[in-house]
Amino acid sequence: MSDFLISSFTIAGIYALMALGLNLQAGWSGLLNFGHIAFAGLGAYATGIVIQAGGSGWTGALVGVGLAMALGWAVARLGRQLGSDYWGIATLAIAEILRTIATNEGWLTGGAQGISAIPSLFDGLPRPWNAVAFLGLVLAVVAVAALSLRRVANGRFGRALRLMREEPQLAACMGYDLKSLKTRAIMAGAAVTALAGSLYAHYMSFAGPDYMVASETFLIWTMVMIGGMGNTAGVLVGVLLVQAAYSAVPFAKDFFGFGSDLAGALRLGLIGLILLACLLWRSEGLVPEKLRKIPA
Amino acid sequence: MLQFLVDTALRASDLALIALGLSMVYGLVKFPNIAHVQYAMLGAYLTFFLRAAGVPLVGAIVLSCAATGLFTLAMHLLVFRRLLRSGPAIAMIGSLAVAMLIVAVLQGVAGSFPRMFDLPLSAPHEFGDARMTNTQLLTVGTTLLLLVLFSLLLFFTRAGRAMRALASNRALADASGLNAERITRVVNFGSGAIAGLGGSMLALSTGAHLNLGHDLLLPVFAAAILGGLGNPLGAVAGGVLIAFTETAVTNLNFGFLFGKPVAFLPVAYIGAASFLILLLALLFKPYGLFDRQVRRV
Repeated sequence: MSDFLISSFTIAGIYALMALGLNLQAGWSGLLNFGHIAFAGLGAYATGIVIQAGGSGWTGALVGVGLAMALGWAVARLGRQLGSDYWGIATLAIAEILRTIATNEGWLTGGAQGISAIPSLFDGLPRPWNAVAFLGLVLAVVAVAALSLRRVANGRFGRALRLMREEPQLAACMGYDLKSLKTRAIMAGAAVTALAGSLYAHYMSFAGPDYMVASETFLIWTMVMIGGMGNTAGVLVGVLLVQAAYSAVPFAKDFFGFGSDLAGALRLGLIGLILLACLLWRSEGLVPEKLRKIPA
Repeated sequence: MLQFLVDTALRASDLALIALGLSMVYGLVKFPNIAHVQYAMLGAYLTFFLRAAGVPLVGAIVLSCAATGLFTLAMHLLVFRRLLRSGPAIAMIGSLAVAMLIVAVLQGVAGSFPRMFDLPLSAPHEFGDARMTNTQLLTVGTTLLLLVLFSLLLFFTRAGRAMRALASNRALADASGLNAERITRVVNFGSGAIAGLGGSMLALSTGAHLNLGHDLLLPVFAAAILGGLGNPLGAVAGGVLIAFTETAVTNLNFGFLFGKPVAFLPVAYIGAASFLILLLALLFKPYGLFDRQVRRV
């Protein structure tokens, strides 16, 4: 039981990092990134490939973060002249292209089998403690990321992002370079997400094309939307809720004696239902963003 | 060579109807409905179940189209009309949630095993060096017929003119006394029914399976965006272009580039080809190949 809880919280922590990355782009900057998972995939694959080539985990994570930031820069450049919904479709297409490449270039990525036998980080410790240590590491990274992102959000950069989201013309008039703001927001989000992907690869000892399916992006979107776009605490609440729903399904499966098809359907349907209900009745999320209003 | 054209026509007819509906609705509601491709999958499954219940094939397809159309209409009235008040981005994320729900319900009801249609086998017709089965002929024929009917409707009837007016300038159309809400409802029903038809016909050859909608998502969006979202016949042209490229990329011998006698692109990259066209289109002609509108900056 405690093993199960530790693993649930570790995975929740990793998803929290990805959701924080998405929140920086979608929540504060209002960018519809539907290919977010590609950044995590790059982090995971970079870790796997570098370790297979004999490098260390640190190098792998750094390479992953670097690649993801480069991809983020390219994606942001692509978005220069597109309407937001068009750009959303473009990011979806980029993520799918990367997944197709990962599935087919077996010499680099192991193809559909992926890269396995990535060492876990705390193999030296005895059995329950290696998982606990990994959980501690993940939680520490999440805490650092959440606190620093909140600091950034309340600072000048975050205010500029929110102004760009609400009133792009006004932001441009005040001398902000919108292109550069968007590019920096996407690159920062990409870096955090690639780190999460790298941790995930270590945790699962595996990196494969399944990490990059579009439904993973939609899962992270659900977490961010439910919790409250643009609010760090809200995002963490959303991650916990979705992860709790996800972890509860296996119990429901055993309790009611569902088949595995029905359990999978239940998982997907539950997420869809929560997301839809949230959009219809509480579109600002459970913990809404606090916007300072200046009395007129 | 003839086989090449036949393959292109087959793929194009898979994409054309669904892209047409997507583009047509976009013109009126101004958000890309990600759930649209799942309506096609819903239609495919409904046709399968109706047929399994003993309804003859044509009747099953007609009933399933009507049901899918009604479902699309219900989604518009219950979900998207409300979400659109908070803006197109929220509506787009809402369509994502609807798409997940459709997949989840179908997975729960029908399971993840693909459902094949047991159609009578017959020898393919031969045209020169090309071959087509009965089902394929039927699919392409139905698609062509529908496209012709739809173009006649769009360009030579009052209803079609009202639709075009509403798509190009909603405020002006409203002010001229067009009933915008009623037209939007009719178009929603129609697009859902056409998507159901497209999905059912696609499923006749591939079977109804859970990835049917997801596999269509990017090619269909690529087709609709290439044609300019909101321009239904442009979407059809985009679909033909995508089908042509996909077929060309898989049939062309790239050996001359690498100095080898034979070098084909792996089949798995067919999908990537259409995404690449989509990206190129977004880079250079972001509002479609046939865009003639002047935009405020």
